[in-house]
Amino acid sequence: MTDLKSRLLTAALVATTALTAAPALAQGTLTVAQRQDPANWDPVDTFLVAWGSVASNIYDGLVRRDENLELQPGLAESWEVSEDGLKIRFELREGVQFHNGEPFDANAVKYTFDRLLGDVGAAGPQRSNYTTIESVEVVDDTTVDFHMAQPDPVILTKLAGYGAMIVPPQYIEEMGQEHFDMNPVGTGPFKFVSYDQGARIELEANEEYFDGAPALDGLVYRFIREDATRLAELQSGGVDLVSDVAFSAVPTIEAADNADIVAVSGPTIYSLALKTKDAVTEDVRVRRALNMAVDKQALIDAFLAGRGTPIASLQGELSFGHDPELEGYAFDPQQAMALLQEAGVAPGTEMTIDYRAGNSTFNEVAQALTGFFAAVGLNVGLNPIEDGVFLNEIVPQGRTNEMFQFSWGGWTFDFDNTAYLSYHEGEKWNPYGTSEEMNELLEEQRQSPDQEVREEILQQVANLAHEEAYHIPLYNEQTVYAVADRVEGFVPAPDKRLRLTEVSIAE
Amino acid sequence: MPILSFILKRVIQAGFVLIAVTLFVSFAIRLTGDPAVMMLRESANVTPEDLERIREGLGLNRPFLVQYGDFIAGLVTGDLGQSFFRGAIAPLVSGALGATLLLALTSLAVSLLISIPLGIYAATHRGSFGDQLVRVLSLAGLSFPNFWLGIMLVLIFSVTLRWLPPSGFTGPQSLIMPAVTIGVILTSTNLRIVRTTMLDVLSSQFIMVARAKGLSQTKVVYKHALRNSSIALVTYLGLQFGSLMGGLVVVELVFNWPGMGTLAIEAIAQRDYPILQTVISILAVLIVAVNLLVDLTYMLLDPRIRLE
Repeated sequence: MTDLKSRLLTAALVATTALTAAPALAQGTLTVAQRQDPANWDPVDTFLVAWGSVASNIYDGLVRRDENLELQPGLAESWEVSEDGLKIRFELREGVQFHNGEPFDANAVKYTFDRLLGDVGAAGPQRSNYTTIESVEVVDDTTVDFHMAQPDPVILTKLAGYGAMIVPPQYIEEMGQEHFDMNPVGTGPFKFVSYDQGARIELEANEEYFDGAPALDGLVYRFIREDATRLAELQSGGVDLVSDVAFSAVPTIEAADNADIVAVSGPTIYSLALKTKDAVTEDVRVRRALNMAVDKQALIDAFLAGRGTPIASLQGELSFGHDPELEGYAFDPQQAMALLQEAGVAPGTEMTIDYRAGNSTFNEVAQALTGFFAAVGLNVGLNPIEDGVFLNEIVPQGRTNEMFQFSWGGWTFDFDNTAYLSYHEGEKWNPYGTSEEMNELLEEQRQSPDQEVREEILQQVANLAHEEAYHIPLYNEQTVYAVADRVEGFVPAPDKRLRLTEVSIAE
Repeated sequence: MPILSFILKRVIQAGFVLIAVTLFVSFAIRLTGDPAVMMLRESANVTPEDLERIREGLGLNRPFLVQYGDFIAGLVTGDLGQSFFRGAIAPLVSGALGATLLLALTSLAVSLLISIPLGIYAATHRGSFGDQLVRVLSLAGLSFPNFWLGIMLVLIFSVTLRWLPPSGFTGPQSLIMPAVTIGVILTSTNLRIVRTTMLDVLSSQFIMVARAKGLSQTKVVYKHALRNSSIALVTYLGLQFGSLMGGLVVVELVFNWPGMGTLAIEAIAQRDYPILQTVISILAVLIVAVNLLVDLTYMLLDPRIRLE
């Protein structure tokens, strides 16, 4: 129904050309429309991109990742990793205050991580990302040591992540957990003003921000679930920036005269995982044939408005571990049919794709895939499944059909994240197992403090997975924003965190 | 007092319905997926201990009947407790319920204001051009889905004319498009009910007697016929209330209306059991209460029901 609605509106919007200039809002206040309300502003309680796109303006971590995915100093001015990778010393910025006036110091850092790794964090989704940290020690007011239980090559990047945002100890202790959930306080470029759950959150500029006050006076986020409704708000001037723009709406925005599309390569990749046990896809020749049957670029052009890149492994070009030399299976239906015949797969053999029903773009992609498979003689059916059931009952229990959707957006842009949970034994996205060699490679790169060695091993992982054709890697999506013309200086980051310090509004 | 015992009987029946509904909902939702898995679905390095810790934190490792008992105790005492992901439930649900009821009642009012006069007109001018027009319009209204109407209204009044806000709830003007969207759909069926029952009543013997006594057309139609035909309409409205609540969900989505439907959809996606249980139970209470109200209204409308 939702899908139909979006398409109806898109069609209608194309027909409607009455777009005029947006009415003036309060000066210097930018309004963003996004799909989801994270509903809780505590960093340890969330994993939602919807949280990061708002709260990246409220909180800071010790380090920060910029638009080019380079690590920059955040609340730490510098850091030093010991040779064995078991100790990291941070020198903290001086004179920084939380929005409530509470000073930021080494105690706040220790409090943040004790909380994350202790009871409070245990009831939330962030803790498991940081369990390589054994303890945090206060050396003096502006120096902290992180003691690691084991070397973690990705820990610095993860310290720029949601769970590692520094929180104010006194405020939380005095006001209580529930108050903090709904009234966030951090050190970031914008201060929290008000929150109307399910509807909007309002922020104002932090004039004392250590990195300089932001260009805007205020920021408002509105939570609007329907794709079409978010666009109607943009076109009627109710919002200035829309995130999560549906690909089907891209041509409409491009044709509009008061708004434009801004897109950036994102972390999210789409693929079909193949069942490597007790199925016709057990045979690697069949899996390779399925790979050769699909024209990825055609899918991107038809359903992503061209806003994507074909992939050869389960990662995009920005990912650490991406191997530019690795080429995906070329689209070759003839060769696919020959391989199927060699493997003894009769024409008309039935297979099924299990996929998550909620995503309208992937619904269309899945339908097109059945056409590609039909062209090589296979009779492939579709089995859409509700998200919760798919993630709980189908995949981890190994109850899938021959092909099932795997889409992932490793926030760290480090292939370790995606590869480990897709290929390592016992992981939820690997219900059918891979190989001992794969397990060893994955473990080896986790132990290595040398990033060059790691990169090489991760590339080997990608090549091995390609060789074995565990998946049909499809594409890496771009993240698409629709931006009103009066918005200036908007440069989106690939990690979908909307840090709007440089953005301003034209008069 | 037959009325009191009647009400008492219905209230006891309603109690059983509610126990059955809440028990079923609480039980069934727990079969559809684990909130701990949903919560960690994007996390890396998840161990079974992590999942267990979250289940413990959310109170999900307690026996089902203990969880259910807590939930019912909360409903009865009004202490709705905490949701899994979104803080305290009471303010969430009361806000959403207010918004949904406001929309439902306004839509109903819109619908009755249109359907009663038009229905009477059509019935008293049977076969005329006006009657045909009313019938065609109501059939047209039944034939297109309500979200489509909503989207068209947004395109005309928000995107093109910029008279009304396309979404959210910022003031009375926000109510207009959603209420008209639902109101028009309700009107299509209500109109047909009013027309058909009016025709039926108008051809019955007591109307002929009334006319024979020399009563004016106005008196016959509005005093005698309308009152008698309202029984069917009231019954229908009571039955319609349940599907109205269902239809609201879609329209709430189109207009980003902060109501019960929007709240329930979010809760289903996150497997936030406490919110979902509460929302469904409150909707069940409402539907049961409305039907009780309908039964009571019969007594006001028809003295014969009172005597039975």
